Amino acid sequence: MSFIRPTLLRPVVAPRFVAAPRTAIAAFHATPKHNIMPAGPQVIDGTINDPAPVPEQNSKHGAYHWSFERLLSVGLIPLTIAPFAAGSVHPVLDATLGATLVLHSHIGFQACIADYFPMRNWPTLHKGSKILLNIGTAIVLYGLYEFETNDVGITEAVKRVWTA
Amino acid sequence: MNPAMTTRTLLRSAATTSVGRTPIAARTLASVATSQAAPAAEQKPRIKKFQIYRWNPDTPEKKPYMQEYELDLNGTGPMILDALIRLKNEVDPTLTFRRSCREGICGSCAMNIGGTNTLACLCRIEPDEKPTKIYPLPHTYVVKDLVPDLTQFYKQYKSIKPYLRRKDAPTPGKENLQSIADRKKLDGLYECILCACCSTSCPSYWWNSSEYLGPAVLMQSYRWMADSRDQFKEERKAALDNEMSLYRCHTIMNCARTCPKGLNPGLAIAKVCPAAALRGVK
Repeated sequence: MSFIRPTLLRPVVAPRFVAAPRTAIAAFHATPKHNIMPAGPQVIDGTINDPAPVPEQNSKHGAYHWSFERLLSVGLIPLTIAPFAAGSVHPVLDATLGATLVLHSHIGFQACIADYFPMRNWPTLHKGSKILLNIGTAIVLYGLYEFETNDVGITEAVKRVWTA
Repeated sequence: MNPAMTTRTLLRSAATTSVGRTPIAARTLASVATSQAAPAAEQKPRIKKFQIYRWNPDTPEKKPYMQEYELDLNGTGPMILDALIRLKNEVDPTLTFRRSCREGICGSCAMNIGGTNTLACLCRIEPDEKPTKIYPLPHTYVVKDLVPDLTQFYKQYKSIKPYLRRKDAPTPGKENLQSIADRKKLDGLYECILCACCSTSCPSYWWNSSEYLGPAVLMQSYRWMADSRDQFKEERKAALDNEMSLYRCHTIMNCARTCPKGLNPGLAIAKVCPAAALRGVK
């Protein structure tokens, strides 16, 4: 095999257990072999003169999602202030606050999954994380329902912990 | 003036007549001006260290490393690019970087200097003891040394159709006219030179550069949405209306902080988001 350029062979035949030579510069930030999820090779769709593909319009995950996210965030401001101002709130309003908080966090976690396990690079991890997140949110929402109907509710619980 | 005078003597006379700062005009792009070489010998040397990222595609088995260079700042221009050019000319011809205009208008010499993405030609050399560290733009695929592969960046720029799009042609013999007020709306947008400093400083773009368009391209998309002459605004908004293209912006604002031209891509994105969300609402 000596007629093949060694540089061509290297990435294919290099055994995985051989430790890569370490550079002496500590500040150097290149990805070591053992790093978690190292960046893959560069992927270019089409030729260098083609424009990058424009994804299909999807308002549910785009504009509507963004608007809903902002509405939730804006809605949380009066919902959070209300218990402080009133001292205590109606159980329905209390449940609304709880549900809004859960949905707000759910969207936040969705953004984390989309950012750190993008569908394109990590499809299994992406889908798995989303399923786990949905299960988690469902359990939390059910727990919240139980907490609101059979117990004191979020506002009262925070109040008790606060003064404890 | 004697026309027989050579350029070099012209430069020399210009240098000797000036008091204090040596004129930058006396320095050519390729080398240090001869007029500055003579006094440099008498002055105390001002040694500055540069640590520069090196990687050669011809030896891929060799890991990237930082190479340290020393340069006497006497006889070197004031900017990092001047130092890099001098290093390449006089110390190490294998040092590779892009440069063209040396005045901050071409965007070729974008690199990470002292931890900040900037243009080498607009970044002054800090005359201190600490070595200046120079890396290629972060999270880019490196072609060689300080040269990043910007293929994806340019392809994304092309995908937003960065040109005036009209449904009707102007009256024959007339241009597409624009009021002064409408023209003002493009200030702070059209100045972008696409150096990719902002996009490569954006963590969202680091993670998802294959799908997220990044601050530079989104600002240019907004530049055409904000243009009163463009008639494809709704189509432009629709092209961004998906999970990845636009809405991966989390207002980290590294883009505005790093822009060597002093622009604010984050502000442009903040205007695109509601515009795309309120698409069709007049």
